Amino acid sequence: MADLRPGERFPDVELTDHGGNARRLSELVGGDPALVHFYRGWWCPKEQAFMRSLVELQAEAEVAYTRFVSVTVDPPPVAAAFRAGLGARWTFCSDPEREAQSMLGLRERTDTVHHPYAPAAFTLHPDLTIQAAYDGYWFWGRPTLEELRRDFREISRRVRPDWRAPRA
Amino acid sequence: MSWCWLALVDERPEDCLAASAVHEHGKAAGVLAAWARGRKPVRHALRADARIIDRSGAPAWVSLVVTPPGVRLRFDDLAVQQARRALLADWWPRAASALLRDASHFEGSILAAADSVRLRADPFARIFPARILAVAGGLLGSVPPPTGPAIERYGSSNPWPAADYEA
Repeated sequence: MADLRPGERFPDVELTDHGGNARRLSELVGGDPALVHFYRGWWCPKEQAFMRSLVELQAEAEVAYTRFVSVTVDPPPVAAAFRAGLGARWTFCSDPEREAQSMLGLRERTDTVHHPYAPAAFTLHPDLTIQAAYDGYWFWGRPTLEELRRDFREISRRVRPDWRAPRA
Repeated sequence: MSWCWLALVDERPEDCLAASAVHEHGKAAGVLAAWARGRKPVRHALRADARIIDRSGAPAWVSLVVTPPGVRLRFDDLAVQQARRALLADWWPRAASALLRDASHFEGSILAAADSVRLRADPFARIFPARILAVAGGLLGSVPPPTGPAIERYGSSNPWPAADYEA
């Protein structure tokens, strides 16, 4: 089982995006700070509330060279429909075979019907080093937008060589 | 960062990868040609994301938007920003690229798909008119969507969405 604590490297899992394309996490993160977020499914009101808050943040993230990836066990067409309903403009990934879920140790044991991902969020450096880990089983364990902004600021400060503006 | 030159020309050039293009109603539209990054091959050639070019690519329907002569629109114009957002949000075609002449202006776009139906919703066609063309195989490949929600480019001379950061 993967060690998903801050400072560790997040596993470079392979997933299927909402369009049905095979993607690696490292490719999705590219060279930018990223949020990788695991959610139970479209049917969970906590997920819907949290996702709506992320939709608020995307107006800032779109100009801040920052990427989001949301991961579920729902198949790609279901994830695509949820994404469309939210108005989300980031990549949703699917793990219907629960291979990444098993490797990451992120199956929520208390839901024996859906066997979903345990709600969890990780802010990542471009090399997949974990900046912060959030356990969202209880809603207040999830990151607030302020915590995400703080994490993205810290990651950006560390990885952008020109974080301090070049001045004449 | 990888980009190429792209242009619709009357006859097939020798120094490029090219495929014939036909209008929806069957009239010949010329040849869509791609040249490697370097000296500009023809006057009206525009920069495109080189990842969309694939010599083994299947035939494609294309929505080609090119700014009318004499019209210039900044790449950061709200209309262009919104078209990028809309493309990310709604439906990603088989391949897509903005088209550029220089570092600060939007000069058009190309979207490629397996059928022409969804190309009619090309968000860039809300800015300038689009031509729907059937392009033969051997030119246009398949490129998955950018991760989002970021819509900015690293280096303004790079066609969106080719955008990975190179430290």
